[in-house]
Amino acid sequence: MKIRNFVLGALGLAAAAAAATLVPMQHATAQGGNSDPAQTWDAFGGNQQAQKYSTATQITPDNVKGLKMAWEFHTGDVSSGAHSTTWGATPLFANNTVYVGTPKYNIFAVEPDTGKMKWKYSANGNNGDENQGLKNRGVAYWAAANPTAGACQKMVYVGTMTGELHGVDADSGKPCSGFGKNGVVDVNAWATKNSKWKIGLIQPPAVYKDTLILGWAGNDWVYKTENPGTVYGIDARTGALKWTFNIIPDDMMNQTGTANVWAGISVDPETGLAFLPTSSPSPNYYGGDRLKEMPYATATVAVNAETGEVKWARQLVHHDIWDVDINSAPTLVDIKKDGQVIPALIQANKMGLMVVLNRNTGEPVWPIVEKAYPASDIAGEVASKTQPFVPYPEPLVAEHMPPVSKLADILSFGECSRWKARIRDEGRYTPPSVRGSISWPATLGGVEWGGGALDPTTNTYVVNSNLVPQIYTLVPRAEADKKYGNALRARDGYAAQQGSAYGFKLENFLNMWGMPCWAPPYGIMSSYDMNSGKLLWRKPVGQVQKWGFYMPESWGSITIGAPAITKSGLVFIGASMDSRVRAIDVKTGNVLWKHIVDAPAVAQPAVYTYKGKQYVAFAAGGNGILTPRLSDQLVAFALPN
Amino acid sequence: MTQRHSTRGAWLIMLASLITMAICVYDYYTPETGLIGTGGVITVAVAGLLMLLASLTMGLVANRGCFLQGFLVVSILLDIIGSSVAGYFLESPVIMAAQALALIGWLINVIGDAAERSVEIDEVEDED
Repeated sequence: MKIRNFVLGALGLAAAAAAATLVPMQHATAQGGNSDPAQTWDAFGGNQQAQKYSTATQITPDNVKGLKMAWEFHTGDVSSGAHSTTWGATPLFANNTVYVGTPKYNIFAVEPDTGKMKWKYSANGNNGDENQGLKNRGVAYWAAANPTAGACQKMVYVGTMTGELHGVDADSGKPCSGFGKNGVVDVNAWATKNSKWKIGLIQPPAVYKDTLILGWAGNDWVYKTENPGTVYGIDARTGALKWTFNIIPDDMMNQTGTANVWAGISVDPETGLAFLPTSSPSPNYYGGDRLKEMPYATATVAVNAETGEVKWARQLVHHDIWDVDINSAPTLVDIKKDGQVIPALIQANKMGLMVVLNRNTGEPVWPIVEKAYPASDIAGEVASKTQPFVPYPEPLVAEHMPPVSKLADILSFGECSRWKARIRDEGRYTPPSVRGSISWPATLGGVEWGGGALDPTTNTYVVNSNLVPQIYTLVPRAEADKKYGNALRARDGYAAQQGSAYGFKLENFLNMWGMPCWAPPYGIMSSYDMNSGKLLWRKPVGQVQKWGFYMPESWGSITIGAPAITKSGLVFIGASMDSRVRAIDVKTGNVLWKHIVDAPAVAQPAVYTYKGKQYVAFAAGGNGILTPRLSDQLVAFALPN
Repeated sequence: MTQRHSTRGAWLIMLASLITMAICVYDYYTPETGLIGTGGVITVAVAGLLMLLASLTMGLVANRGCFLQGFLVVSILLDIIGSSVAGYFLESPVIMAAQALALIGWLINVIGDAAERSVEIDEVEDED
């Protein structure tokens, strides 16, 4: 009898568990009380200062467990294979509307409380003709300070990976005829120098008053001489070019290219300074043809947002031969230190350093020291003898990679340790070599393009970062030509760097089973008090998921995307391999809530309030770097009544 | 030597394997599970199918030799252990609950067989 009861009990448990899984998710639809002021999210970084901060307090650490899906919207813009999509858009909330761009160059305007589509604009880009695939990180929003009668006093902009910037009316979705040619600016027409490809407008422009500040994404692994990384100031109403800023010096343009701004740009609304994170020059991994100093490359550069005039520049990697671009919009912070308020910016970077600069002068708030690093053993290459190093605030990444994973090594019969023994590994800034070098951290970061989030009321800064070594191998030209012919890229990680003495091969440090050869964690989140620079906590974030199996939480996950932070003490983040979005207690770093979405939300979320209700919205688009799982899901969460 | 045995345990294992396969199919096609299109659920589904076939054999073949019985019992136990571990790493409570059910069936089968063997031995001893 006892056994029968136990069996019946087990059956009941199984049935209940199955029912819990199978029952469709209840959607929250009603509004809760909230005295918060209306909260917009009208820029990629939440605001112009790239703080990703929300004043909303309806969702708190105490009630976040009750967060439910309020609505979801599928754009239809997803594809895999040769023309796979990469969607890292941050939804914008402005003009009582949620706006999102897609990797197939559509803009969707949806109702903020129901997810119902208001309008759709199709930019009709040349899908398939893109130099870097179908990618998008969303849209930009501009509103006239003194609107006149007629349309296009509020506009939404989307870029295409074929170099077109489209401007449409935010209310109707109709193209603004006064913007460029019938609503389209062809940026390629300005980018003619050494043009090898159509430039990719993956990142929406930053907006300051009536100026759009526009960078672009390049393809700096395949040629020595490429499109130089020019930044454009554009009239937000007309699309006319107001100014340009050249990162590559004129006398170096026939030796190199790119060093472009492909990540977000932040703006100080009080001073009108725009802060540009610049990338490495081409070719990324061999610098023997570009030995001359280029102070604006791999740097943070402050320019006048309305003229492009340089105010100051701070190079963060000298003679970059690791592709460790400065890859996120600096987060602006007013540091309260020693009784003074220091207008500062935080430029956490791929090298895992917490660079904090006075944003008016470029001088470091905490010292930057020049530290000696290894020399290159490649003929013609001269690695910088020193690199900027920031010992405090505590770096996000240690000087040397973690030890080889015993588990991965044993399961691969010693493959990991044998591989590591035969390649060059001298810690951070080990130069690429013919025999292969460990790059630590590698081009995957450190910090990825989302950057961190700041609560300006407490100056608590949270940032996710990766702990990933990769293997950089230079392939002598004759050998590369013999093996790869004229191919610009190959599936084994090869990139041609045509015109230079070496091709290049990037390999992930994985064993025969695809397991990481280094000890976890692979991804962490850190919290700092930016008044003191003190590290408050550091914890693994996300979970690795392989073939559906979740690895332990203590391993963390590689993350692409960024957090948002709320006044109520929560951090919201997707970004991880396991396609989950999470709410984290900003005080402790503990995960308080998580929810599965259709694909990794490789973007930062938007937090907004509408009709008294707080929403957290994610674009769950996925990114092939993390996992093959891709989606077109835009999803918002809220508390039910 | 042949022996009669109770089929109750086998039916429970069958039920558990059907639940396992059903949830795997659901997981494989449903984005909300986080397991859509993953090899892990295919693996567990195949393990569930093998468990179903083994338990069917166990249930339908009333009289069987020691070797076949031993093989099925050991195979099903390994299947339960493997699927449980997989369910744990897939973070699927339903798969784990189904394996708990299968384990109960397996125990009923083994205990039932042992009890029947004991009765048969007693009967033989009584005949002596």
